[in-house]
Amino acid sequence: MDKLLKYGLFIWLAVVICFAIIAPIPAVGSMGERARILYFHVPTAWVSTVAFIMALFYGAQYIRKRDILYDYKAASAAALGLMFAVLATVTGAIWAKFEWGAFWNWDPRQTSIFVLILIYGAYFALRSAVESEEQRAKLSSVYSILAGITVPFFIFIFPRIVESLHPDPIVNSSGKVKMDTNMLIIFLSSLAGFTGLFAWMLNLRVRIAKLNMKEGKV
Amino acid sequence: MDILSQNSNYVVTGVTLILWLGLFLYMLSVDKKLKKIEKK
Repeated sequence: MDKLLKYGLFIWLAVVICFAIIAPIPAVGSMGERARILYFHVPTAWVSTVAFIMALFYGAQYIRKRDILYDYKAASAAALGLMFAVLATVTGAIWAKFEWGAFWNWDPRQTSIFVLILIYGAYFALRSAVESEEQRAKLSSVYSILAGITVPFFIFIFPRIVESLHPDPIVNSSGKVKMDTNMLIIFLSSLAGFTGLFAWMLNLRVRIAKLNMKEGKV
Repeated sequence: MDILSQNSNYVVTGVTLILWLGLFLYMLSVDKKLKKIEKK
């Protein structure tokens, strides 16, 4: 079953990649073929949001139960979140070069994800600065809760209250999804595939942390 | 080179699929190694 899920994920994402790049795309403003970025850029940003919220959840669990495993889970989720946030920033910057003429424009979306990267970069700086395992777990759990609270503001609120060049979010200001049906199917499939990939990555990282704990390496 | 530029979508698809296959095989091998160590 476990194996079936992994091979299933491989086939799922391979099919999504084929459809995302080859399937005909309707005219989306002046973007043309560049609109295909949606199938990869948005899922990476989505996964980073999920990962940061999970880091908040595991941080809170550590505070409640004082089980060190939750601290490792929080750190693993935050590390993956940071990696996906960097991926979203890089893919967005490449798209911006061709659409807006420059890699970086301090657009509200770019600014908000940059601030999030700094916030979670500081989380790992904090972790590496504290030697005592218990102290590190306590401090970084509190930090991950505080950092997690800022995520919905930076991802969902800030870019919507400031004028931006960024294309409309998937769910626009009137609360409706305005997208071609075929595009929406490919997009949602990509979102599901990336979420599955993240779940697998998190599972691997947590298992490595557990083994390190047993060996007393952490 | 004309063939590449005329079929750019297929070239990009091929490269992306190779990258995805590489990542998948790497993760699968890490998974297998972990299972072995966990059994021990």
